[in-house]
Amino acid sequence: MTMLFALFISSALAATGSAQQFTQKAPTPADWTALAKLPDFTGVWERVGVGAGGNPVFGTPPAAGNRGAAPQRGAAPAARGAATAPLFTPQYEAMRAAAAREPQPEDNSTANCLPPGMPGIMGQPYPMEFLLTPGKVTVIIEAYTQVRHIYTDGRTLPQDPDPKFFGTSIGHWEGDTLVAETVGFSDHVQLARGVPHGDKMKIVERFRLTDPDTMTIETTITDPVVLAKPYTTVNTLRRHRNWTISEYICEENNRNYVDQSGKAGINLTVPGTQKKD
Amino acid sequence: MKHLLLFALLAHHSFAAFDVSTQETVTGTVKQVDWTNPHIWLWIDVPNENGGVDTYGFEGMSPNFLARRGWTRTTLKTGDKITVSFRPMKDGSKGGMFMTGQMADGKVLSMMGGNDQGTEK
Repeated sequence: MTMLFALFISSALAATGSAQQFTQKAPTPADWTALAKLPDFTGVWERVGVGAGGNPVFGTPPAAGNRGAAPQRGAAPAARGAATAPLFTPQYEAMRAAAAREPQPEDNSTANCLPPGMPGIMGQPYPMEFLLTPGKVTVIIEAYTQVRHIYTDGRTLPQDPDPKFFGTSIGHWEGDTLVAETVGFSDHVQLARGVPHGDKMKIVERFRLTDPDTMTIETTITDPVVLAKPYTTVNTLRRHRNWTISEYICEENNRNYVDQSGKAGINLTVPGTQKKD
Repeated sequence: MKHLLLFALLAHHSFAAFDVSTQETVTGTVKQVDWTNPHIWLWIDVPNENGGVDTYGFEGMSPNFLARRGWTRTTLKTGDKITVSFRPMKDGSKGGMFMTGQMADGKVLSMMGGNDQGTEK
């Protein structure tokens, strides 16, 4: 027993150590050549449904309880974002129901320029770009000028990750599909309003091309404590070869805000004048 | 601190400040264009009953979004005459969410941009 315990401790330490101290090897010419055999994820991609005239996020009154997540045109039924709600374990369903009876905040902290966490950052109405280099897939996300790092160099997921907005990601290729696994999420990530995620929440994303300029991302969230069953959605992205990623410095001229009580507002002070109180 | 919902698909913030059940119109002159993130802001001087002007503020999409859909930072210039249709502020402040703008020459600007003009077909 003691020995088993010691073994457990040492392996846990080793796992933690390897996660924190993983050293990426210098890429060889063969590593660079091997990238050519992977599917072409290069370029700038945007969610289907964002385009001209079809953007559900602006100018359309949000549907009650499903704010801004209008069905995406051209997307498969499963791609309709939060149209299907996650199924919670009884304790957390009670928590969700209780929160739903409370006065609802008018906005969340993205109004104050904090980025959404995972997986919300992958569903923004702005494009993203994929960079494939030896041992890594980098996702440049225009919204809020964010970056995700998906390591494909063989490292393992950390046993006790620091909580982060985007978690900690590793990936591997299953044929032409990039499979990314992500753990370790900030408390900012909630599974529904008023429902926290568990420490063991994991997100698995499967990225693949369904035609030369169409990518689907199947996202499955598991949380043995909070979710009664895995929650899966599919997003469809379209490649725009003539687009470039731009900057999005949210603090540049953000006139929106939400306060601690959940009250949202807009600063309409005319430029060059004093704010009226 | 408000938490982030998992699938917050909003561009940046909620519609809480706007009355999205109605639309209003004002006609005036462009005072200033803020071609900035996370939203562009159009400041329009609208003549008032006292012989002066009231400055209205209109929030639009981001320059990133608009630049891919036919707008540029000089699509609207200081001094341009424009009639703006907008979702008004719930609190009655002068301004709101820009929907469309009709220029003096009849050209209509949409906050959704054109049909991917200047991008790909």
